[in-house]
Amino acid sequence: MPYRLPHRFRPLAVLLATAFLACTPSRKNLGSTYRGVLISNIKNFDPALVQDQYSSMCQFQVYETLLEYKYLARPYDVQPCLASAAPAISDSGKVFVIRIKKGVEFADDACFPGGKGREVKAADFVYSIKRMCDVRTQTTGWWIFDGKVVGLDAFRKATESLPPLPEQYHPALYDGEVEGLRALDDTTVRLELTKPYPYFKYILAMPYAAVVPHEAVEYYREDFMNHPVGTGPFLLKEWRRGLRLVFERNPKYHHGFYPTEGMPEDSAEGLLADAGKPLPFLDRVELDIFEELQPMWLNFLRGNLDNSIIPKDNYAEAVTPDKSVRGDLAAKGIKLFRQKDLDLVYMCFNFEDPVLGKHKRLRQAMSLAFDADQAVELFYNGRGVRAHSPIPPGLFGYDPAYKNPHARYDPEAAKALLVQEGFPGGKGLPEFEYLTVAASNYRQMGEHFAQCMARIGVKIKVSTCTWPEYLSRLKQKKVQIIAGAWGADYPDPENFLQLLYGPNESPGENNANYKNAEYDSLYREMAIMQDGPERKAKIRRMQDILAEDCPMIPEIHRLRELLIYDWVGDHRGHAVLDAPIKYYRIDAALRRSRLEGRGK
Amino acid sequence: MQATNPIPAALAVDRPMRSRALRKLLRDKLAFAALAVIVIYAIVGLLALFHLAATHYQDSVGPAYTAPGAKYLLGTDVLGRSVLERVVHGTRIALVVGFVSTGIAIPIGILFGLLAGFFRKRVDDFIVWFYTTVDSIPYILLVLALALILGKGLVSVCIAIGITSWVGACRVVRGEVIKQKELDYVQAARAMGAGNARILILHILPNVMHLVLIQASLIFVEAVKSEVILSYLGVGVQGEPSWGVMIDDARIELIGRGAWWQFASATGAMFLLLLAFNVFNDALRDALDPKS
Repeated sequence: MPYRLPHRFRPLAVLLATAFLACTPSRKNLGSTYRGVLISNIKNFDPALVQDQYSSMCQFQVYETLLEYKYLARPYDVQPCLASAAPAISDSGKVFVIRIKKGVEFADDACFPGGKGREVKAADFVYSIKRMCDVRTQTTGWWIFDGKVVGLDAFRKATESLPPLPEQYHPALYDGEVEGLRALDDTTVRLELTKPYPYFKYILAMPYAAVVPHEAVEYYREDFMNHPVGTGPFLLKEWRRGLRLVFERNPKYHHGFYPTEGMPEDSAEGLLADAGKPLPFLDRVELDIFEELQPMWLNFLRGNLDNSIIPKDNYAEAVTPDKSVRGDLAAKGIKLFRQKDLDLVYMCFNFEDPVLGKHKRLRQAMSLAFDADQAVELFYNGRGVRAHSPIPPGLFGYDPAYKNPHARYDPEAAKALLVQEGFPGGKGLPEFEYLTVAASNYRQMGEHFAQCMARIGVKIKVSTCTWPEYLSRLKQKKVQIIAGAWGADYPDPENFLQLLYGPNESPGENNANYKNAEYDSLYREMAIMQDGPERKAKIRRMQDILAEDCPMIPEIHRLRELLIYDWVGDHRGHAVLDAPIKYYRIDAALRRSRLEGRGK
Repeated sequence: MQATNPIPAALAVDRPMRSRALRKLLRDKLAFAALAVIVIYAIVGLLALFHLAATHYQDSVGPAYTAPGAKYLLGTDVLGRSVLERVVHGTRIALVVGFVSTGIAIPIGILFGLLAGFFRKRVDDFIVWFYTTVDSIPYILLVLALALILGKGLVSVCIAIGITSWVGACRVVRGEVIKQKELDYVQAARAMGAGNARILILHILPNVMHLVLIQASLIFVEAVKSEVILSYLGVGVQGEPSWGVMIDDARIELIGRGAWWQFASATGAMFLLLLAFNVFNDALRDALDPKS
C-alpha cells in the first residue's frame, strides 16, 4: 500500500480495443449491484502480500481487521471491527488488551471440516500476525511491526531457520509464546509494545493485520493468495485475471452496522439516514479493471460503471470552470465529488549522487525553479494545493500558514543561488537524469520539470522505465532525481516524515538517502509522542530542516475528484479507506429508469 | 558459352545495366517525386542534426494546446511547445534510426548471405538455423528485450533494430548467391585461378548489389516504423521528441480535448516519408530487374 503511482492511475500501452470489448460490463438484471473500477491489475488476495492500493481495495471486501476506520466521523479515527470494543490501553501506552466479538464466523469454505466456517477466536489474530511476520511468507508489510512489539523481532529471526515453504505451513514455532503478542483466552488478545507508539491503533486497522484462518493457509498453501477466506461483508465469486472481479454478499456476515455518528454535513446530505442498519446494502459488487482510461471513461458515460475518475484530457468536457458538472452530464444524474487526499507528490534528490548530494544551494535553486502551480494546472486541472512540507492537509502538524522559502516559483532567486554555488547559468553541472514510470502523463511531468530547469540552465534528461524497474533502481540507489508520490498508510504525520528518516534509506522509503542527525533524533522523539504543542513544535523544526536542506521538492497535495451517478447512495470519500463499498447503497429503481430513459 | 565468351559476366553486364536502370528510374515521374520527398526529409533531418533547425523544441513558445494557425503553424502541445519543431526534430530521429539501423543490418545480412550461399554445407546449415531462430522470435519483443538490456536511448534503439532486421537481406542474398555461383562468369573466374574471397567480393557481390539496395530501403522503412512503435511504448528514444512519443502524447489529448494537430502532424510526417520510400522502392525494383 505505501507506494502510489505519481498519478493515481497507470495508463499502460495496452491494446485499447481489446480492453474495451473485453470489459464492457453487461447491463442485465442489475438489482443491487455496485459496478466499480480498478485502474490497475491486482496481484493477489493474501493480506501479507498486499502492497498496492488496488489489491488492498479488493482484499478489504473479504478480510477484516480488529479495528477499522470510522466511515463518516472526522478527524480520521478507528473503531472496533472484529474487536467488540475499543482496545484497553495501559497508562504507559504500551499494553493493548483487545476483546474480540463473539459469534463471528469465517465464510464457509472447503478448507474447513464439513465446509462450514468456524468462529473467529483471539488465537486467529495471533496466528495471522505470526504468519505475516514469518520470513518465509515474504511479506511486504513487516515494517508495520518492525521493532514495535515485544518479542516479535526474535520470533521473526527464529523463522529464518525453518525449512522453506512447502514444508511446515504450521511449524511448532507458531504455537510458542511471543511475549508481546498473546491470546489470553478465546476472546482476548494482549499486545505489548516496545514503545508507546501513538499510531499503533491505526496499524491494527491496516490490511496487513487482517485475520486469516490457518485452515485456509494450510489447505490452499501457495494457492492461498487466490482463495480468500475471511469474515468480511463479501465473498469473492469470480476473478478473471486482468479483467474483472465479482463479489457477492457474505450470508454469514452479521456484525457490521452503518455508522450512527457523523459530521453535521453528513446528516445534512442524508448520509445518516441509514444509521444503525445492518451492512452491507449491496448484493453484488463488480469491479472492472481498466488500465486504459478512455474505455473506462466511455463506459462510465454510457452508464456501465457507477463511478469514474476524470481523465485530465476529459476534464473540460465534464467539469465547468466553476467546478460543477456540465449540464448534459448532470442531466444524466452524474454528480461531482471532491475530497482532500492524504497524499504528497514530490521529487527527491539522491544524496549519494556526488553533485546533488553535496550542493545544498543547487537543490534549493532547483526547488525554486520548479513551477508547481503550472504543473497543478497542466496535469491535475487545478486539483491540488502547493505542498510546502511532506505533511498533507488533514493531518496533525499541517499548518496552512507555513511557507517553505524554497517551495515557490522564483527563477531569478534560483539563478542567484546557482551563481553563489559556483555554477553560474548551470555551467559546470552535468546533465541530471530524472527517472519516472513509463506512461505518457509521467513523461510529460518530467518534460515539464526539464523545461523549468532549462530556464536556469540546469540540464535534465527524462528517463522512463517500468514500475518494477523503477522500484529496483530506487532500491539500488541508482538514481539522481526521481518523481514519487506517497499516500497515507495511517493518518499520522509520522507516516510522511519517515520518508526522509536516515535509517529508512533505500531499500527503505527514504529514497533521497537523506541523513541529518538532528532530523533523525527529532523523528524518533515525535514518533512516540502524543499529539500536542510539544509534538507540533518538533514537527515544525523538522519541516524547517527539510526546507533548508531540500532533499525533496514537495510539489502538491492532490484533491481527489470523482464523478458518480446519483443512484449510488451513502457515498463519502475517505482518505485512508480506498473502497468503503460495504457502506454504499444502490437505488436500483432510479438506475433502471435513468438507463432506460436514455435508451429511447 | 563458356568457351566462346571468356570475359567475366560481371564486367560485361554490370555497367550498361546500371546506367540503364538509372535512366529508367529517372523517367518514372512518380519515383522522381518520391525521391524528391526523401531528399527534402534528408535535408530537414540534416539541418536538425546539426542544430540548424528546430533548436527550440523543448521551450514553451505559447499557451498549451493552441490550434494550428498563422503564429504556430502546426499548433502547440501540452507544455506549449511548437509541434512543428517537434515534428522536425522527430524527422531527425527517424532518419538517424533509419540510416544507422540499415547500416548495421545490411553488412550483417550481406556477410551471412554470401557465406551461406557460397559455401553451403555446414556453414549454410548453421546460418540458416541461426536466422530462422532469430526470425522466429517475435520481432517487437526481441527489440524490447534488447532495448532493456542495452539501456534506453537512441543508440540502443539503433543497435536493437539493426541486429534484428538483417534476416530478410540475408535470405535474399543467400538465394541469389546460390544461383550466381553456378553461372559461367564465376566458373570462368575460378578457372583463371581466383580465390574464394576474390570471387565473392569482386565477382558475386556486385551482381547481388541491386537486391541489397532494395532490401536496404525496405529495412529503412521497417526501422523507422519500429522506432515509432518503441518510442510509443516508452522504451525508445528518451528525453527528446520522436514521432512515437508525439503519438503517445496525442493519444490521450485526442479524444478528450480534440487536440488533433499533434497526432496529425506526427502520423502525417511518418506516412509521407514511408510512402515516398515505398514508391521509390517499387520503382527501384522495377528498374533494377534485369528481366523487365
